[in-house]
Amino acid sequence: MTDELLRLDGLKVHFPIRSGAFDTVLGRSTGVVRAVDGIDLAIRRGEVLALVGESGSGKTTTGRVVVKLTRQTAGRVTFDGRDVSHLWAGPSLREYRRRVQIIFQDPYETLNPKQTIGDFVAEPLVVGGGRLTVRDRAAKVARALESAGLRPADQFATRYPHELSGGQRQRVVIAGALVMDPELVVADEPVSMLDVSIRTELLRLMLELREARGLTYLFITHDLSLAWVLADRIAVMYLGKVMEIGPAERVIRDPHNPYTKALVSVSPTTTPPSSGGRTRRTILVGETPDAAHVPTGCRFHPRCPLAFERCRVEEPPLFDVGAGQAAACWLVEGGRSLPVLPPTGQ
Amino acid sequence: MTDETQLAPTTTPVTPRALGRRQWPLPKLADPAAPLLEVDNLTTQFALPSGAVHAVDGVSFRLDYGEALGIAGESGCGKTTTALSLVRLLPANARITSGSVRLYGIDLVPKSENALRRYRWREISIVFQGAMNALNPVQRVQDQIAEPIQERLSVSPRAARKRAAELLELVGIPKKRGSAYPHELSGGMRQRAMIAMALACDPAIVIGDEPTTALDVMVQAQILALLERLRDQLGLSLILITHDLSVIAETCDRVLVMYAGKVAEEGPVPDVFTRPRHPYTQKLLSAFPNIRADRRTLDVIPGSPPDLRTPPPGCRFAPRCPLAMPVCSQVVPPEVTFDGVRVACHLYPAGSSGQPVPVPLAPPIAAAAPDPAGESVA
Repeated sequence: MTDELLRLDGLKVHFPIRSGAFDTVLGRSTGVVRAVDGIDLAIRRGEVLALVGESGSGKTTTGRVVVKLTRQTAGRVTFDGRDVSHLWAGPSLREYRRRVQIIFQDPYETLNPKQTIGDFVAEPLVVGGGRLTVRDRAAKVARALESAGLRPADQFATRYPHELSGGQRQRVVIAGALVMDPELVVADEPVSMLDVSIRTELLRLMLELREARGLTYLFITHDLSLAWVLADRIAVMYLGKVMEIGPAERVIRDPHNPYTKALVSVSPTTTPPSSGGRTRRTILVGETPDAAHVPTGCRFHPRCPLAFERCRVEEPPLFDVGAGQAAACWLVEGGRSLPVLPPTGQ
Repeated sequence: MTDETQLAPTTTPVTPRALGRRQWPLPKLADPAAPLLEVDNLTTQFALPSGAVHAVDGVSFRLDYGEALGIAGESGCGKTTTALSLVRLLPANARITSGSVRLYGIDLVPKSENALRRYRWREISIVFQGAMNALNPVQRVQDQIAEPIQERLSVSPRAARKRAAELLELVGIPKKRGSAYPHELSGGMRQRAMIAMALACDPAIVIGDEPTTALDVMVQAQILALLERLRDQLGLSLILITHDLSVIAETCDRVLVMYAGKVAEEGPVPDVFTRPRHPYTQKLLSAFPNIRADRRTLDVIPGSPPDLRTPPPGCRFAPRCPLAMPVCSQVVPPEVTFDGVRVACHLYPAGSSGQPVPVPLAPPIAAAAPDPAGESVA
């Protein structure tokens, strides 16, 4: 057992663009989408690491590589000290999948409307749980349902998804992940579909499960404020790269990358602007370019209000800025702080 | 503010600046002294095989010229039904059973479907949530915008196209992108196109039904800034329907918080957001994750909203309310106004001081894992 549960080194996922059936047959591609373009990450046991980014940042693709749903183009995935990059079949993959589970965003799509809750939760045991007696299986399902807060379990097990509320459905999905006793849970926008009042209960559940079962989370979200509430560390992604990573407190309160800083400044808050306390907002112009046309140099430079000559030609590495925080920006090289961002309109 | 001078529908080019002015006369019966929109005791029911659902149950509010009103609440609280009731764009099994919707003092509820067409788009228009579903996938964006202009304002195709181009420019879509099909535009651009379409007939009121919900944070900020600018530039009145309180905090003058088909609290945004009175408003605000607040202090609202086929007697929030008293489960709380804030809660009876009674909050979420400080990044 190592302290570091998961490690990604130089991970890249490139998807070829094929412009027609002809190209597909010939294996020809007219370009490449650089969904994930070289990221290094490490998650410690028992930690919640949030991967935050807008659509097209590569956060979901990264999560899919971790759970072996997408093949990486390059780079290494190490789990519990073992290189699992090329684990694509056989009993070791089944064992890996037992230890690493994923929770998807939409419980409506994850659940089968014609399957009872009990059968849904039992399915991973049937597929990959080895030989179990019917009674053992039922006991495991009941334990998973109860851990997910669906009590009494026997009453929920016989119900169908349409009989449950949205929050309960997402609990069922969590129970389905828990039944295998995983160590790492990749949670891809697990509460984004839910109302505010229900969200908190699920976030609490996730943290309680961490305490009770020693779970580790890779929490994928577009919402910086959810990452702030839940995560120990936050990694901010933009166009397939990590722009900044560090303890949640540091990344949010003292961002060292202009993209993170702008994102923090526009993060929604319920404090009305008229009642003060509102920091200046930096609304970036334009939208994230598509990953088939990644800009040269720093990929953020075309939208960066602080970009200068070097940013156009040379891509900055992640610079260590102290206290476990690192940011990819030429301006913070050598541990300097970022200048104030100009507020921009749209 | 709306310029009430009477102008005939025009075929002359309109500059963006002139878009704020009316291009046609007010309805004949309009009372210039009346508030722009006044909704009184609106009740809308859905007929289901299992019984009637009181989706909107006695909702009243008013909207003034140039004002932005946010209607907040969780799924199923009736906020969208309230908005759709204003222009009666309701599903076939829904019906307004009582109340009035007065626009310029004219009640729209008794109007026939045909008579109502004069008001839709030209007086009140809607920006829907899913731009991808609301736009026609096989028609160029500029043509989709030109179509209602041509039909509703009876102008030549050429003038309609010209106006469509101006509208696109107004909402920040580069001219050459107008010939794109919806799937060729990004989510933010599609939402801009929806806004352009809503502005096509120069309405007095634009209703945004979750206009930024599916968008990225940065794009959401851009769209909200755009709405703010348009409101300024065109003198629009806005009704924003959203579950996201932060959208209302940032863009609206007044907020109306709904719970289970009824108004819980209504008032100016600064008052309601800084000194919420209704326990539901308080809970909702403290359950909202906020990066400017302490970590892990998110509140929880136990339970779930009631089934509106069989709403609880008395206050509908009582079963989930930490401060519920015996009276709450028996008597429907009346709406009482304190310093411009209307609240329906037995904690604030008429004649009381109306001082906010704080609700107990849930304890902070489990402590963070020990921070291995100083360790550098992978």
